[in-house]
Amino acid sequence: MSAIKCSGLSKRYGKSRGISNISFSVEPGEVMGFLGTNGAGKTTTLRAMLGLLRPSAGSVSILGLDPQKDRKELTPNIGYLPGELRLYESLTGTEHLALLGDLQGKESTRRNEVCERLQLSQADLRRPIREYSRGMKQKIGLVQAFQHEPKAVFLDEPTEGLDPVVQRSFSQMLSEFSNAGNAVFLSSHVMSEVQQTCSRVAVIKQGELVKVDSVDALREARSRRIKVLFGDSVNPSDLSFPEEFNASWRSNECILHVNREEVVGVLKALLVRELIDVTVEEASLDEAVIALYDGGEQ
Amino acid sequence: MTTTPRSGTLFRLALMRRKRLLISLALGLLAFESLIVAVAAAIPVDQLMATKPAPASLDAFAGSSGGVQLASIAGLLGAGLLHPFWIALQLSAVESLGAAVVAGDVEDGTMELIGVRPVSRMRLLAERVAALKVAAAVLCLVAVIPLVVGRWISNSVETAATVSGLFVAALAGYALVFCFIGVAVLASCAARRRAVVLGVVGATAAGAYAINFIAQAWESARFARWISPFNYYRPGDALVGSAFPWRDVLVLGAAGAVFMLIAALILRRRELV
Repeated sequence: MSAIKCSGLSKRYGKSRGISNISFSVEPGEVMGFLGTNGAGKTTTLRAMLGLLRPSAGSVSILGLDPQKDRKELTPNIGYLPGELRLYESLTGTEHLALLGDLQGKESTRRNEVCERLQLSQADLRRPIREYSRGMKQKIGLVQAFQHEPKAVFLDEPTEGLDPVVQRSFSQMLSEFSNAGNAVFLSSHVMSEVQQTCSRVAVIKQGELVKVDSVDALREARSRRIKVLFGDSVNPSDLSFPEEFNASWRSNECILHVNREEVVGVLKALLVRELIDVTVEEASLDEAVIALYDGGEQ
Repeated sequence: MTTTPRSGTLFRLALMRRKRLLISLALGLLAFESLIVAVAAAIPVDQLMATKPAPASLDAFAGSSGGVQLASIAGLLGAGLLHPFWIALQLSAVESLGAAVVAGDVEDGTMELIGVRPVSRMRLLAERVAALKVAAAVLCLVAVIPLVVGRWISNSVETAATVSGLFVAALAGYALVFCFIGVAVLASCAARRRAVVLGVVGATAAGAYAINFIAQAWESARFARWISPFNYYRPGDALVGSAFPWRDVLVLGAAGAVFMLIAALILRRRELV
């Protein structure tokens, strides 16, 4: 059974679009990324999945339960970090975590451990939230999402505002969490974060899902980037490449985007010239997603 | 281990987040009513008593339907419990806690964190409205404390206000505030911004206050006073030990309860984010 399953999920706001016919599933132990530009519908999808918004059509199942009908049974076992995290400014960190823990319906058994891993000291927790930086508030948001040992977590831009050291610690925590058989649904527009932590991604564009695939498959499907540094004997104006290679020059260095099948042939052709260095790189997730947004795959 | 969400958490949070405001309002009411009592106690009784009865509209300022004149100790004390300052302080609490029932969390975005926890909408409403009722009850009682003290230290105050009258006046004040709690909760359950709640409660109270006095001063508009909650709040009459105002308390209580029922129906249907 899938840990999270969306079938034909739609949410309309009057005449405006919202989201339409979103379908995917997340298996236990999987970290799934959810990518899209600002306003593409990521947050609406998350809110509709969690029952914060009533879907106009479609269904959602989380841990085998309906977020609307089985809210009381389901919510103690899920964690959620909103994208625009807002906290009660007058409460201290400790009071805030205790408040949300009391409302959770499940013991906050991991609170101290998660605080420690995210470098949230007792002195920090004693301060009121209004004195917190963006990153500190984000840590509180992450602790409240994980403190009760949920079985599925929904994270909207989880590393926003975190310093690199805490980001690394969080990635390790997320990895351990999923390895323990728990499901993670991670919405982000930070591709490096998704590439590093997720096994599969769903890409949303203008409220519609345009791709659900593994990160590797998405990158694999994209063209390779060949970076060539020519010797002084090569005059760039003497060289011409097909337009689809999208060649860009900087002095004697040229970057080409070449389909996987054509890489060997292109390299053979280049090797007849005086070359100082050649690197062939797999496309990044950014490029793969940008290609999807630009209207096609290469 | 799954447990039941701790009850009373939202109730405590509502009061804890507004504790400074509530303490300030309580101190303000204490200071204001103490001033009224001090003034009333300092005036010789023979200087106060008017030779001719004042118009009914002036008696209304004393919180009376005609039995208590404004130019009397009971009239002055009653006026202190219906003064715009008393109303403003009571409504400040109603607006602040009322706006926080739903609209405040929706506006701030904090509703998202509560919405993914096993707290039903009705529990959210019940706990926060309970906090509002408790705060209002405390403020109504605080407002009559100076009158209780005044009875000990001043014979004229003791003569003007009966012990039971003080508590009836506090209860009548609570009934009036309860009605406005209903308005605030209804606005909060329907709106997405605090400002809407503040505007609705403020405008309703100002309109009702104006209608009550216009209706008493102008014969042709007399009928309109029945729609004003202030018509059902007569602290001056209560202080002198008149019959318990069952009808007034029931009307204000029923109006508040109806507003809260409508609020609950709206909250069941609306989106929270």
